[in-house]
Amino acid sequence: MSSSKTTVGAEQRAAPQADARDDYLRHSRGILSWIFTLDHKRIGVLYLVSILSAFFLGGTFAVLLRTELIGPGKTIVDPDTYNQFFTLHGAVMIFLFIIPGIPAALGNFTLPLMLGAKDVAFPRLNLLSWWLWITGALLSVASILIGAIDTGWTFYTPYSTTTAQKGVLPIVIGVFILGFSSIFTGLNFIVTVHKLRPKGMTWFRMPLFLWAIYSTAVIQVLATPVLGITVALLAAERLMGIGIFDAGLGGDPVLFQHFFWFYSHPAVYIMILPAMGVISEVIAVFSRKHIFGYRFIAMSSVAIAILSFLVWGHHMFTSMSPLANTLFSALTFSVSIPSAIKVFNWLATMYKGTIQLRTPMLYALAFIFLFTIGGLTGLFLGMLAVDVHLHDTYFVVAHFHYVMFGGTVMAFLAGLHYWWPKMTGKMYSELAGRWGFWLVFVGFQVTFFIQFIMGSRGMPRRYYDYLPEFQIYHQISSIGSYLTAVGFFVVAGCLARSLVRGVPAPANPWGANSLEWWTPSPPPHDNFAETPEADDPYDFSKWTLDPGTGGYVRS
Amino acid sequence: MIVPVATVWLPQRGSTFAQDVDFSWDLVFWTSAFFFALITFLLLWFVLRYRERPGYVAGSATDHHTGLEIFWSVVPTLIVVGLFWSGYRTYLDMATPPAGAYEVQVTGQKWNWLFSYPNGYVDGQLHVPEDTPVRLVMTSQDVIHAFFVPAFRIKRDVIPGRYSQVWFEAIDPGTYDVFCAEYCGTSHSAMLTKVVVHERADFDRWLAEASDFLSRMPPAEAGALLYAQRGCKQCHSVDGASGIGPTFRGIYGHDQRLASGASARVDENYIRESILAPQAKVALGYEPVMPAYQGRLRDEEIGAIVEYIKTLEGTP
Amino acid sequence: MTHPTAASSHVPGVGHVVPIRTLLGVLATLLVLTIATVAITLFDLGSFNIVLALTIAFVKGALVLLYFMHLRWDRPFHAIVIVSAVLFVTLFIGVALLDTLQYHPDVIPGYAPALKR
Repeated sequence: MSSSKTTVGAEQRAAPQADARDDYLRHSRGILSWIFTLDHKRIGVLYLVSILSAFFLGGTFAVLLRTELIGPGKTIVDPDTYNQFFTLHGAVMIFLFIIPGIPAALGNFTLPLMLGAKDVAFPRLNLLSWWLWITGALLSVASILIGAIDTGWTFYTPYSTTTAQKGVLPIVIGVFILGFSSIFTGLNFIVTVHKLRPKGMTWFRMPLFLWAIYSTAVIQVLATPVLGITVALLAAERLMGIGIFDAGLGGDPVLFQHFFWFYSHPAVYIMILPAMGVISEVIAVFSRKHIFGYRFIAMSSVAIAILSFLVWGHHMFTSMSPLANTLFSALTFSVSIPSAIKVFNWLATMYKGTIQLRTPMLYALAFIFLFTIGGLTGLFLGMLAVDVHLHDTYFVVAHFHYVMFGGTVMAFLAGLHYWWPKMTGKMYSELAGRWGFWLVFVGFQVTFFIQFIMGSRGMPRRYYDYLPEFQIYHQISSIGSYLTAVGFFVVAGCLARSLVRGVPAPANPWGANSLEWWTPSPPPHDNFAETPEADDPYDFSKWTLDPGTGGYVRS
Repeated sequence: MIVPVATVWLPQRGSTFAQDVDFSWDLVFWTSAFFFALITFLLLWFVLRYRERPGYVAGSATDHHTGLEIFWSVVPTLIVVGLFWSGYRTYLDMATPPAGAYEVQVTGQKWNWLFSYPNGYVDGQLHVPEDTPVRLVMTSQDVIHAFFVPAFRIKRDVIPGRYSQVWFEAIDPGTYDVFCAEYCGTSHSAMLTKVVVHERADFDRWLAEASDFLSRMPPAEAGALLYAQRGCKQCHSVDGASGIGPTFRGIYGHDQRLASGASARVDENYIRESILAPQAKVALGYEPVMPAYQGRLRDEEIGAIVEYIKTLEGTP
Repeated sequence: MTHPTAASSHVPGVGHVVPIRTLLGVLATLLVLTIATVAITLFDLGSFNIVLALTIAFVKGALVLLYFMHLRWDRPFHAIVIVSAVLFVTLFIGVALLDTLQYHPDVIPGYAPALKR
């Protein structure tokens, strides 16, 4: 693809107008034009709808299991069904929502636009990624119908190799296929960032979201094959009794844990790195100030990607030998430092900025607050003596919900509200956006903060029943889950309503300077008439607010 | 220092190293509280002070400062090294049982715990003397479980095919909860038991009395208990089902065909010999794989098993 | 179209083309090494057997990477990618083995049924 050497004309820069017949949503019609699309923007929207559906399904399991836990003993279901609820909640949320999550739903749409490119490097591979997601999702849902599974999303052996539940095989096949969806997306993004940057956009002039997506892509390509092999060996053990994990056949049950966590720990950084990339964008734009410490934030993304591969054993402190325990505990602390660096840089960005408390910014501020709690509680779990007490209790459950939900989901919502006008061409109601935010934020805290206390007091996780002394904690948590659910319905309603009644969005409602804001909202099919010239993505001085359109224009 | 009741965050302290674990906890807790407060304060203050409002003009500020970056990279690094060291030191103590500790064998299975005392007695609860190091040598009969006593701050996975160990020294007589802490199926949350900590003199008396269950219950009932707990159940059914060994149903008084071609009447002496020296008479059609219980079952226990087998009527 | 010679393997419009002689030579080497791998199993050298087998496998893998996969003439970055992947595998297997070896004494002997020979 040849990149144009001319710059965008002054008229186009002033106030790009959407051509009603050529924006990517209206470019072609019919369901086949979507399912067979090669347009990265449409693929992003397909992914968005898909993963939000998965989020709804996973959330339903969450509300069901919290309802069972509102009282000791049986509340609505028997123990086997409850065990299936928590297994499916985890598997659906992790494999179908959060791992594809921000890269697939927001990254697919935004990455080429941020590069001033027409599309990703391999559009057909991109479509294949989505088809593989659909296939894996259908298999996972089928497993629920075939026989369900109750092994927990971690599939520990020998329980998973010996349980009579028939759903294990279909879901691990589904996971295997979903793994390829992730690998292909990662591959696509790596090549796109290497090869499709415009003239003038050196590595250190890329928006930080791209550094985040790139680092995530490296993890996706390097780690996911190990998951594939792990589930393949699990399937072979179940079907053929090869004796790799079954002690009765001479195998080693703990070996499975090494295999599983070698992928699944880097996987959690697949979940959080893109989220941090979104936050870097949103904090800078809504502080109207250049991001502080650009190089350190960029390098910290790469550092996290590399260090994430060295710490998997911290999930296994109660089953490993003392030497391995010591090694992993020491290494685990190393990965906390780059995250801390990011938080301090975001705060420094806000210092002496001009802070606009629009909905995306509210979510970003909540991210900093909640991710701080989540990250600090990770320190508790990294310390050997303390982890022995906290492992497999609700403290761990609260920790990972704070980083995955309080972190990634909040950042996902920040990014969704930030790029919504660009993707849909509509503005949502700020008031409704705020209501949704506060309900989700408060609901989340009520649900999960109490779980820290429950856990450190000794309440184990994955428990259908519990001692009466823990009841009050469970009740508070369950009520929080209902509040959170209401919050999500408000968020969904706010965004859905904007599609019908929203004010048409200007090209640059927020005054950002990364290249996706230089093209109309929604973008035309080909993204840009001519390849724009790269600029400092955090130089907001070039835009001023035009009260007439409600958007920013070139000054 | 004995903390008899739970604090807001932690359960009571029931073991010697609970205090050290709690010290590590306090260290990371207050460090985290400090950083949480600092970050939250800055966040709220900046939002308040620098928010967009009529008449507000932002001052100028640089967008990078290498010295600051180094400061807030190095200081947290030093802090986490300290945290690691604290957790590691206490862990090393927890991973090294002292020599001469009182050893109890633990078996985890779906979904209960069994504790075998040095004298051979098997019980469903863990009884220990106070102020005595106790070492648990654990294994699983089926899937991975985990032995968790919150008050003692101990937890260790219990794995099939190998032994894992954990040790503690209880400091206060009382009863403490034990949970299974590795998901193991349907009744994972019901796999509970207790640690009962006795005063020193009281413990020996308890063990002698409990081991003497034969004098407390009718022989046939004691025999049923031994059948279930001492490994007979794994090979011999009581309902006629075939297994690694002959079923016990209806065998008493029956003529058993032997591998040698002879025949023997199953009476008290036959059963006693089969338990103590099983290779002497091997039943026809079965492998000679039964372990000898010489020295592992007392005479009265064998008598109880005989009484139990007598109650199992039906066709063999 | 000019064919690549031993001296200049650069074909305009296509880039570097590996001479057929080179490819055949590597193929022959790989076949010989494969025969060697099988031949070695006929001798019992104790634990040295596996060292030798892995060494031969390493050499064969390196030949495939360097010549068949063109890594010898590619940008150094590609070599970095391959080598780092190998390093990660080594890290994974190495640390997992470290753990397994340390708890090896705790494995219950005779727990698994004996393999039928």
